[in-house]
Amino acid sequence: MNASASSAASAPSAADDRATVLLRLLQLTDSALPVGAFSFSNGLETAVAEGLVHDAATLEAFTEDLLVQSAFTDGIAALHAHRSRLAGDVRGIVEADRYAFETRTGGEGRLMTCRMGRKLAELAARLFADALLDEWLEALRAGASPGTYPAAQGLVFAASGIDERALFVSQQYGVASMALNAALRCLRVSHYDTQRILFRLSERGGALYEEACVLALDEMHAFVPQIDILASLHEQGIQRLFMN
Amino acid sequence: MSFDSAREVRPYLAPPAAMAVGIPGKSGYLRLGFELAPDGRSILRDWERRAPLIVQQALYFDEQIPEMPCVYILSSGGPNVDGDRYEQHFTVRRGAFAHLSTGAATKLAEMRRNYSGLRQLFELEADAYLEYLPEPTIPCRHTRFIADTTIRIDPSATLFYAEIYMSGRKHSGERFRYDLLSIRTRAERPDGERLFREKLLVRPAERSPETAGAMNGYDVFANVVVLTPERHADALFARTRAFIDRDRGLAAGISRLPNRCGLLYKALGRETGPVKRLVRAFCSDVRLEVKGKPLFEEFPWR
Repeated sequence: MNASASSAASAPSAADDRATVLLRLLQLTDSALPVGAFSFSNGLETAVAEGLVHDAATLEAFTEDLLVQSAFTDGIAALHAHRSRLAGDVRGIVEADRYAFETRTGGEGRLMTCRMGRKLAELAARLFADALLDEWLEALRAGASPGTYPAAQGLVFAASGIDERALFVSQQYGVASMALNAALRCLRVSHYDTQRILFRLSERGGALYEEACVLALDEMHAFVPQIDILASLHEQGIQRLFMN
Repeated sequence: MSFDSAREVRPYLAPPAAMAVGIPGKSGYLRLGFELAPDGRSILRDWERRAPLIVQQALYFDEQIPEMPCVYILSSGGPNVDGDRYEQHFTVRRGAFAHLSTGAATKLAEMRRNYSGLRQLFELEADAYLEYLPEPTIPCRHTRFIADTTIRIDPSATLFYAEIYMSGRKHSGERFRYDLLSIRTRAERPDGERLFREKLLVRPAERSPETAGAMNGYDVFANVVVLTPERHADALFARTRAFIDRDRGLAAGISRLPNRCGLLYKALGRETGPVKRLVRAFCSDVRLEVKGKPLFEEFPWR
């Protein structure tokens, strides 16, 4: 870790203080974190409109597909960005960022991830001082790094003393809660339903982490053609509540 | 040529029970180089073939573009079997153009000890144009197949690259019974600038591909990469509609690839015929946009 990072406002004591680290994790995972997550539905809106998701059971299955897709794409990118931040290697963060971007084959998905990534990085820069974060923000502004959300998460979580497993499951939680919160607004399911789904799906995160943590950036993969087609329909759609 | 370092084939590294990996007849190689001739025809200038991959001579049957060579790739060995390693290298030089297809569906046989691999390199120079529109691939019970495709393309060139995968020998009741499909496609500029990558990894025994977000009850999946200058990509994106048609059991979507390098078109269907027609119609749109002519009509026996 470089010198200026260890002089950061939050980092040195936080890393040793488990309560602070836990609260940092809660803050960064909270859906109220102002990175714009509420504006996106992860393709759920179109899945509902097309009748693919029509009740709690189909919502749970669909959300699980989103989680698996995210685990082996953004999840891997976030883990690599996290490790690069711990190694003080900004080039590693840029590389993870580029892989996350090049693997995003949907136009709206790329827009979403880059907006959220930039917002998170800019927010973090106002919360604490971190030389690597500043360097990465420089790269973003120069167009040398696309600024995806998983790359920003990896960097910010590592700088906050949060370990990579917690980062991974927090990212999973973010994907699930984004879809489930959107479901409350476009599908006839109750808060009880969505909370039950979230509770159950949370039990899968650890196993997905074990699978994803050994994979290299160029092993990122997915197979969700129906979700890809839904995203494309959404992008061409006229009536819509959510941005994605 | 080896894929053994790929993590997903590690469970399948036992030597095949019959013919060994790499011996004649099991390591197919095909290199085709297209070039623009002074008379304006595009010609198959140079080639290398090693069985079981073979090609027929270039045919000029397309009345719309009579200067375009159409080449059919065949595999004399029948299906891809345990331990097969194939390599294909296509070069389309400055201003040249070509249409490539296969003679019949590619069958991937049952594999018991090893796997079958395909490595491909597409190189397109300035203003080159290539259509790669093969017949569908059919993975059988316990097929393990890994494909690794690299595309190196000049910003002014256009590549239409289509793949169609079936769930299995559906009409014998065999759906998603294969062990592994690993399909990786990467594109870059001649100077090494990376454009996009996609890896489709399906291991039905570990994670079902039949969920609502994946195959969702469909049996045929088409993946089409179109790398083309941005003005063509914009026009095609505006013209191509995404849809889900539950009555016909057909769906398609289109998205813009990163780094403004082109488009990705995906289609799902219950039967091969309608999906092939969708992919051909899209190919025809691409040809019309870039070459000003539609794709020739499919032969009635295909």
